[in-house]
Amino acid sequence: MREQENNRQPAGQERGGERRANRVILKRSIFLMGLCGVVMFLPLIWTLWQICIVDHDYYEELAVRQQTRDVTVSAMRGDILDSNGTVLAMSATVYNLILSPRDVVNSVDESDYQNEEGVTDQTAYQAAITAKKAAIVDGLCATLPQLDRADVEERMERDSAYQILIRDLETEDATAVREYISENKLSSCVYLTPSAKRYYPYSSLASQVIGFVNDNGGAYGVEALYDDQLSGTVGRVVTAKANNGTEMPNNYSNYVDASDGNDITLTIDVNIQQFAEQAVQQGIEAYNALGGGICVVMDPDTGAILAHVSVPTYDLNDPGTVIDKSLSATLDSIRNDPASTDEVYTEALTSARFQQWRSKVVNDTYEPGSTFKAVVLAAALEEGVVSESDTFYCPGYTVVNGERIACSKASGHGSQTLREAVQNSCNPAFIEIGQRLGAEKFYEYFEAFGMTSATGVDLQGEEVGQYWTEDYFTSAEGYLSLATASFGQRFTTTPIRMITAFAATINGGYLYQPYVVDHINDPEGNIISQTEPTVVRQTVSEATSAHASEILESVVSEGTGGNAYVEGYRVGGKTGTSQTLVGEHDYIVSFMGYAPADDPEVIVLLALYYPEWDYGMYSTSGTYISGGQMAAPLVGQVIEETLEYMGVEREYTEEEANGADVAVPNVTGLSQADAASRLENEGLSYRTVGDGETVTGQIPAQGATIPSGSQVVLYLGEEVPTEPVTVPDVTGMTLERARTALAEVGLYMKASGVSTYYTSSTLAIEQSVEAGGTAAPGTVIEVRFANNNIYD
Amino acid sequence: MPRAKRDLTMEQQLSRGPMDLPFLMLVLILVGIGTVMVFSASFATAYYVEEDPLYYARRHLLFVAAGLVIMYLLSKFNYQLWRGLSLPILGVAFVLLVLVLTPLGYGGDSVGAQRWMNMFLVAGPGFQPSEIAKIAVILFFSARLAKRDTQKKRKWSRRSTLGRILQKLDDIGFLELVPYASILLVMAFLMLQEPHLSGTILIMVGGAAVLFAAGIRLYWVAIGGGLAAAGMWFIITQTTYMTERIQLWLDPWSDAQDKGYQTIQSIYAIASGGLTGLGLGQSRQKYLYLPEPENDFIFSIVVEELGFIGAMIVIALFALLIIRGYWLAIHARDRFGSLLIVGITTLLAVQVFLNIGVVTNFIPNTGISLPFFSYGGTALWIHMAEMGIILAVSRQIPAPKQE
Repeated sequence: MREQENNRQPAGQERGGERRANRVILKRSIFLMGLCGVVMFLPLIWTLWQICIVDHDYYEELAVRQQTRDVTVSAMRGDILDSNGTVLAMSATVYNLILSPRDVVNSVDESDYQNEEGVTDQTAYQAAITAKKAAIVDGLCATLPQLDRADVEERMERDSAYQILIRDLETEDATAVREYISENKLSSCVYLTPSAKRYYPYSSLASQVIGFVNDNGGAYGVEALYDDQLSGTVGRVVTAKANNGTEMPNNYSNYVDASDGNDITLTIDVNIQQFAEQAVQQGIEAYNALGGGICVVMDPDTGAILAHVSVPTYDLNDPGTVIDKSLSATLDSIRNDPASTDEVYTEALTSARFQQWRSKVVNDTYEPGSTFKAVVLAAALEEGVVSESDTFYCPGYTVVNGERIACSKASGHGSQTLREAVQNSCNPAFIEIGQRLGAEKFYEYFEAFGMTSATGVDLQGEEVGQYWTEDYFTSAEGYLSLATASFGQRFTTTPIRMITAFAATINGGYLYQPYVVDHINDPEGNIISQTEPTVVRQTVSEATSAHASEILESVVSEGTGGNAYVEGYRVGGKTGTSQTLVGEHDYIVSFMGYAPADDPEVIVLLALYYPEWDYGMYSTSGTYISGGQMAAPLVGQVIEETLEYMGVEREYTEEEANGADVAVPNVTGLSQADAASRLENEGLSYRTVGDGETVTGQIPAQGATIPSGSQVVLYLGEEVPTEPVTVPDVTGMTLERARTALAEVGLYMKASGVSTYYTSSTLAIEQSVEAGGTAAPGTVIEVRFANNNIYD
Repeated sequence: MPRAKRDLTMEQQLSRGPMDLPFLMLVLILVGIGTVMVFSASFATAYYVEEDPLYYARRHLLFVAAGLVIMYLLSKFNYQLWRGLSLPILGVAFVLLVLVLTPLGYGGDSVGAQRWMNMFLVAGPGFQPSEIAKIAVILFFSARLAKRDTQKKRKWSRRSTLGRILQKLDDIGFLELVPYASILLVMAFLMLQEPHLSGTILIMVGGAAVLFAAGIRLYWVAIGGGLAAAGMWFIITQTTYMTERIQLWLDPWSDAQDKGYQTIQSIYAIASGGLTGLGLGQSRQKYLYLPEPENDFIFSIVVEELGFIGAMIVIALFALLIIRGYWLAIHARDRFGSLLIVGITTLLAVQVFLNIGVVTNFIPNTGISLPFFSYGGTALWIHMAEMGIILAVSRQIPAPKQE
């Protein structure tokens, strides 16, 4: 019923019009229903689909980028330790200072500068922002004077949320900045992010082994080779922030823990490393070795590298700076040369850096020279082609394939036994030994001792060197090569390979794979990997090795290696003097020493590169250029210090125990200085009693025979005591203690005994004057020793 | 029963009929979802700016409560009475549209436009006179056009030239359009003084919908549409204000930090939602990135939190409400009721379309709120009032005859 409109309407035509009108409304309403209820929403749905689903990833990334603050958390890099646990490389937490200029702008509330109608007073608003920026710059620069103000101001003007103002702030500075931030409520726009910095407490110690890091992680050495172990996993903190810079409450934050790197313990021992470095430096200074030097100390029974020295070296904390004297002298001369350009200098600097970063021990090769004779000796003994009864004649030269090869002694060594030939390091004799072996057998041992392959040491870039192919070596033309190879010339190898091969000749024949990493443990201390000594192969039999070692010991006790002699330690070794291609007079002098000979604890290779040549075979220091003269004493020194440090007991020979007997000279009436020099000439030490200038008396008296090295007592004005002293009981004492006990009361000792060597287990069993008896001061008491093992 | 039914007039009896339940339920669901979303969307702004997380939510609840009362009261109000009230209301609308241009009006959120007034001129909640104008136009047009076919045709003197011309114009249906067109043009003129383009469009749409449904000849619809299109074209291309807006519409990133900022942030919010959304309350864009997250851009937050699926549900609810509205229009007791509903429903539909169009950058940015969702007190009241009027019409729909 449509009553309302019908009220005043008559029926008929109007009714028809009304129906028509209603039909129109119906039709058009349905049309609108379709249009507004359905059709109109279709493009909206399509648009939403596009944004929500199709372009979702693209826009979401943009959104997340503006909503989040993504801060990486550096993982603490693992430490590198020496074999005692001394820290060689460590990381400390430092802080980077971050400024978000955008949040500085946001932190000024625009609504504070709006009038009631919401119109911003732009002048005042901008002025407030500028003032706030200036205040922050002032505050930061006052807190951290090392900040570059101009740089901070420039960064403040950037439209950015992440500007690093300064890196590597130490804890102290970081604390100051943190206080400033909290006092001024600036945490939304200035903050600190932790980071790590690498420190090397021992600066240049074992620098080429440890290596250093750059921005990409480890760059050299163990730092580079074990970067994966050391670096750990970087963490991230992603926090959602509101547009005013503050953190969103209860919303979207993601923390990926940084996991710290593993610690690496090296086989390097800081103390041994220091002995070795000191020895190399001494050698370089004494003989002005222009090319630096190397020293490797290895445990011959495992292949563990105890010390690794390569000079020139550098400070790990500042690897870019050239600190080597020789290298910096070269650089200075280039810089001061008016003819050279900046590019030339830069190139020279780059080259100098690479030289100091690389390890001569592993990355560079040399001709091993006579040290290689030990390998030849072992091979010949193993094959039975030589025996101690053989004699070799050296006229001073030999001719092979028409080529005259000279011996180091031009006049020749004459007729010599095998032992003597080794002691003399006689080239013609070794050429003969090589020839007896034959090229095939020789090459077999050449390979067996690892001369044709890398050692596999865990250091970067191990070089192999140049050597002959087997085909060439065994051919007729190769006959000369066999000759030169017999005394270690005309092929190159690395010092690391040479020491490994040499060790195999004296350790029972085992060729080990050398290594510098002892074990790796995680930050909690659990061991992740432990390096076990790896025997690559057995080269010669234990018996042969023992025999070779015994002969090599005589090189030190009686031959060219005499300078490496250390009292109490049985040192064996072999000298080496190698020609180089660098210059006619640029030699590499080396010595390979090991001790104790019967059961080697250490093997040391020390080489000096290019001692400054003067004339003939003499250096500017006046020393004959040879391994025996230059390197051997240094190796002796390293061995002595190392074994002493390792607590290896000295074993004295009879001769060592007593020294040569010396007749005491008369020094009474001389001045103290003169008396001292007289006594020193005789190999005696002294102590003084009284404070006069002139010696008024002495004990023992002139003519008394006492062991060399004993102490003479000089009386300066004091009365010489004539009262007999009571002889102490020294039985059961070791050699050293007995000598000291007697010396304390003014008596001297002459040792005798049943054993050849006086070791810690050799104890006194009898004394010539009974304990409690008396003797005149200065009397020599004979003490008999015996190995106490007998009584055990 | 205190009084017998026959003691009431027929109209009184009719206005006591049942409301259309589906329509009511749809309104209540939308208002419910809207309220939850206002709370969620306004949370961050309220927390950071007003330092009270519930600042907007609390007020919005009061507005909703009052709005429901208004809707209920108007649904009980016999809508036939609007016929007589429509002219005075139109007059009031005109007065307000003039007053808003005086210092009594103010800008509200939109800088540089004067669209708001206080309810009691100098105090009380703010409202936009354009909202009153919209409903006034629909009421007046519906009331007048409902009588269209029953009005006595006026005869023009065929003797004078003027008479013949007028007769001709009457025949082609031009003359009857003159008063409507005049009202719309004057209103448009006043509104563009504020300026308030979106409001103008909505008033035009409301009026046009009633005219269209009332049965004016289609070529007038075409001509009107053409004129509107030409006008839009002129405004868009010839005024710098609008060309700039078009430029921003095509490429919001051309001024990402300032004028394009809101659109970009809205797109970020919508895109972040993906298919299923970040979860209710989990919006990140509301943390001061997206301006007006509780108001014009609340739909972006809805999508961000509830995802594409949530958006589809909201759109579906709106579509159902609109379709139900037209269904009620078709079944209304009289033409006045039909036209009233068509006008209000179309206005609602277009407003939803424009709002979602703006937040998705489907159409250029212009300030239009989303009915039932946007925080904004008086606008909600007007919408609830309109729904009340539709419900009032629905009460008088005769029940289907029983077999």
